Amino acid sequence: MDRSLLPDSVRAGSASTRHSGGRGLALVLTCVSLAAAPLLLSVHYVDLLVFAALLAISGLGVGFLLGQAGIINLAQVAFYGIGAYATAHVTVAWNLPGLLGLLLGVVISAAFALVMGLPLLRLSGHFLALATLALMVIVTQLFFEWDWLTGGSLGIGGIPKISLFGWTFDTPMKFYYFAWPIALLCFWMLSNIADGRPGLAMRAMRDSPEAAEVMAVDSTALRTKLFVLSAILGSISGSLFAHYVGYISVESFTLERTIVMIMAPVIGGVRNPWSALPGAIFLSFLPELLSPLGEVYRILFGLGLVLVIILFPQGLLGIANWRRVK
Amino acid sequence: MSGELLLQVTVSGLTNGFLYALIGLGLAVVYKGSAIINAAQGDFAIVGAIVTVLFTQSAGMPYWVSIVIGVMAAALLGGLMEVACIRPMLRLKASEESILLATVGLTFLIGAVVLVVVGKAAYFLPPIGGEAQVQVGSATLQRHAVIVVAAALLVVAALAAFYKYTHLGRSMVAASSDADGAVSIGINVPLMRTFTFMLGGLIGGIAGVLQTPLIGVSFAMGIAITLKGVAATVLGGLVNPMGAVAGGLIIGLAEALAVFLFNSGYQNVVTMGLLIVIMIAMPNGLFVTARRRGG
Repeated sequence: MDRSLLPDSVRAGSASTRHSGGRGLALVLTCVSLAAAPLLLSVHYVDLLVFAALLAISGLGVGFLLGQAGIINLAQVAFYGIGAYATAHVTVAWNLPGLLGLLLGVVISAAFALVMGLPLLRLSGHFLALATLALMVIVTQLFFEWDWLTGGSLGIGGIPKISLFGWTFDTPMKFYYFAWPIALLCFWMLSNIADGRPGLAMRAMRDSPEAAEVMAVDSTALRTKLFVLSAILGSISGSLFAHYVGYISVESFTLERTIVMIMAPVIGGVRNPWSALPGAIFLSFLPELLSPLGEVYRILFGLGLVLVIILFPQGLLGIANWRRVK
Repeated sequence: MSGELLLQVTVSGLTNGFLYALIGLGLAVVYKGSAIINAAQGDFAIVGAIVTVLFTQSAGMPYWVSIVIGVMAAALLGGLMEVACIRPMLRLKASEESILLATVGLTFLIGAVVLVVVGKAAYFLPPIGGEAQVQVGSATLQRHAVIVVAAALLVVAALAAFYKYTHLGRSMVAASSDADGAVSIGINVPLMRTFTFMLGGLIGGIAGVLQTPLIGVSFAMGIAITLKGVAATVLGGLVNPMGAVAGGLIIGLAEALAVFLFNSGYQNVVTMGLLIVIMIAMPNGLFVTARRRGG
């Protein structure tokens, strides 16, 4: 009970310093096991892990918004789609290198997030979540309507594998060693932001907006920057997805996708920036484990999601600390 | 010719508007009673409609009996949702965000159950009141549309009377507006919240049964229905359930106009754009009262 009297930001701060010794070790172990995984696993599981990396990148963005700044962003699939379509268009229609497509997606997503974020982020709580959901419905509907650009439900196929400096990432194994370093780099950068002064400002803003304003935290600017950052991660993830699967259509950008993207960090334990990593791996493997059951897997999957939200507000990473807190 | 078309579009827009009003009414009832936005409100409509379809088409029950069972099923789902999901979360002092997230998860879960039970197809119910047509000026509409309007108005009136005159309705208002005060005069506050969700489910189920002869029902529709209801109820002012009717009609007309001016694909784009603008520009709705709440 006494712990709950402390401001959340103080608790989060003490939690991160308390584990600082174990954290470096956990990080090294994670990197080593991720680096070794493709050597031990079959191609099928490597493939799932590539999708986990893509989910981790887009989940990292929304998880960071929710965990550090208290913003629910249900529009991530829109930015994911913008990245994917930018890549598809640049590589297929214009026949230019994939890196340009990735950059174009990032630029469009960032600009769009800035333009939409400025008005939307004046909202908070329920209204903000609903507004992002409405934004997602608008953008996915436009993906469907603007078939001259997106191919509509027919989609765009024949997206080439991405290549850098003459090296083409054309097998799941090669793509794995391309996607995961990018994912880990993103995680490392964002967890540094969370540990530094901006992170402190964000958590102060999340837990007590008025007090944060008094301490000269410019909430509007900070929230907008975070929203743009999250959109950029969504777009990168979408571009990589387009390169990896080679074919995209409106079927790839659905409500289900956006829910899974926000569930990855929530299941992991959203207060920790690294949470999207175990969450994404879990969410990528769970449907696979349940798929022998047929369509019933969707019920179990949905039930699992709801139960985790209800029972483990601290997520998977929180379960380890659970006893200690009690 | 174009004028006739405009009239036809307007009339169907108003009919849809009453449906959005009913969804919005359900959302507003739940918000009024629990300060929770239930993202699964649209799924009450789906469950109510699908259960009706199952009973009337598979079990061969009379239409009216099936409707009653369908609506009751939606109400029970509402009660179950509160007891199994909302109540434990409130006990664990979950944040506003995580409760909303849980209801978004429930949308996915309920959609999955419907998908497994009846598959991906869209289902329709026969129009209530038969296939007869009614002439309004130069526009024709099904008698069903008239019944939609009448049913919506009836629900609004019944709801107003329920909150004003019945003991249960007044207890529910008391439990939400001042929980501590309500406890001290012997009102079971959590039970009132369960009743609130059941009432939300009931209204959602009615909306579902009314919409199915017009636009059909399928497993993935839930969130779109909810969002249109949200647009209606936010426009009308969240804490004022009756405002949802005015809000629903405005949304329905705006959509009809969008279909008339562009094409039907932009219907959702216009409604959702309108929702965003309304939330930013008038968070308290059109009918701003002296008390600033719900923003």
